[in-house]
Amino acid sequence: MEHMAKLNRRPEHAPQAAVEVRGLGHIYEGRDGAVPALTDIDLTVPAGHFTVIVGPSGCGKTSLLMMLAGLRTQTSGTILCDGRPIPKPDPERVGVVFQEASLYPWLTAVENVEFPLVLKGAPRSERRARAEEMLNLVGLEGFGGRYPHELSGGMKQRVSIARGLVQDPPVLLMDEPFAALDEQTRMTMGHELLRIWSQTSKTVVFITHSLTEAVYLADEVVVMSARPGRILDRVPVDLPRPRTYQMMATDKFGQLRERIWHQIRDTP
Amino acid sequence: MTRSAIILVRIALLLAVLGAWEVLPRAGIVNPMLLPPLSLVLKTLGEILRRGDFQEAMAVTTAEVLVAFVIAVPLGAVLGVLSAENEYFGAIFKPMLFYVFSIPKSIFLPMFILVFGIGFGQKVAYATFSTIFIVIMSASAAVESIKSEYVLVAQSYGATRAQILRRIYVPSMMPILLETLRISMIFNFTGVMISEMYASRTGVGHMIANWGENFMLPQLFAGVVVLAVAAMSFNELVRYMEARWSTWRS
Repeated sequence: MEHMAKLNRRPEHAPQAAVEVRGLGHIYEGRDGAVPALTDIDLTVPAGHFTVIVGPSGCGKTSLLMMLAGLRTQTSGTILCDGRPIPKPDPERVGVVFQEASLYPWLTAVENVEFPLVLKGAPRSERRARAEEMLNLVGLEGFGGRYPHELSGGMKQRVSIARGLVQDPPVLLMDEPFAALDEQTRMTMGHELLRIWSQTSKTVVFITHSLTEAVYLADEVVVMSARPGRILDRVPVDLPRPRTYQMMATDKFGQLRERIWHQIRDTP
Repeated sequence: MTRSAIILVRIALLLAVLGAWEVLPRAGIVNPMLLPPLSLVLKTLGEILRRGDFQEAMAVTTAEVLVAFVIAVPLGAVLGVLSAENEYFGAIFKPMLFYVFSIPKSIFLPMFILVFGIGFGQKVAYATFSTIFIVIMSASAAVESIKSEYVLVAQSYGATRAQILRRIYVPSMMPILLETLRISMIFNFTGVMISEMYASRTGVGHMIANWGENFMLPQLFAGVVVLAVAAMSFNELVRYMEARWSTWRS
């Protein structure tokens, strides 16, 4: 299976969708009655694709991501992850990288990365080797013994990414992973993420507020409206890969960014 | 000031206090009947430590303190976690616990004597009662200090309820729980002492109260030294555990 996944690393060889959302709606019970949070969400993310979701605060992006992770249940519609519904979290299908540093401060970097394997009851030597391998992948070789407070913000998020990848899930969900970082670190981390992505052939769904980050990373940018969140536009980003920082200065990049900005700005 | 300078000053201060304790009564500046010189207290300490009745009293007091501690801390921790975790349990019991916590526990001592007598059981019951509230309050605060993201992350990796308790709750709560252990021992020890001094047939607190009433100051001070050393040793032991546990904290 693993070998198959590696052969199918590019989307054109793997036409099936890794994430498929049909007619999804969500209503939550607020203090003043039912509040529609998401309506009519249809989303297809082909295997190996990098999809970025942008939208105003409170538009339900994070709720959507929680549903894709099996952490929340939608009111209506269907979600298929890797071909099957996801009624509860399944870390072998979907890995999640959270906002800010959600690392456990009482565990070292390598212990944080192997945490999902500990829950699964994997043998110690095996999980340690796997965690070290993931730390190497994210560029943190030799930092495994450090505690989170001994790492910089960017390094912490590298550890989070390693933790999300440790069970080799085909799908990686990322909820504003770089939002708390300074601009320079954020750019570096975006670049690093693309390198990791190209090495692992994951399907990524990435949430951000930064339009520059969205265009820089994405195969497709999904633009959502203010609450109740629905999809306003899907913007294919046909910039060549590998992406470079120089591309940000091109007209093409600017036009894509502008198109997304108009969609978001025009929503009340 | 450097760290070693601070330690030197501390030692100097301690020696000054001990020196004054020896010199002032001997010089007649302080009434030696009220403050026997240090050397006399230490000599008396050596004597009472060899006495069979004092050894027995120490054994009884130690047993009371330990039994009350072993009841109050786990029971209080469970009730505290429940009141923070279970909405209904918390809504019903929290205000009540909070109100009772504010009352000085010693005013209930006569009732404990009426119900339990003046033996071992009464000491344990009263000490448990005076300790359990601080444990409940702290444990409940410890649960509330757990970041919800930590739980969410674990859930996203498929953690079961038991795994979340063991892998997230326990380590998150550990710093506060160790602190609670220390503070609850102070409450617990005080509870045993008060009930021994108030009405008892044995125990170190009982002997100290007697020595005081009979104006046997060297013995009284020797007893105080024994209790102070015991209390401080426990405190330092837990602090050592805290320091070892908290290496991950910045």
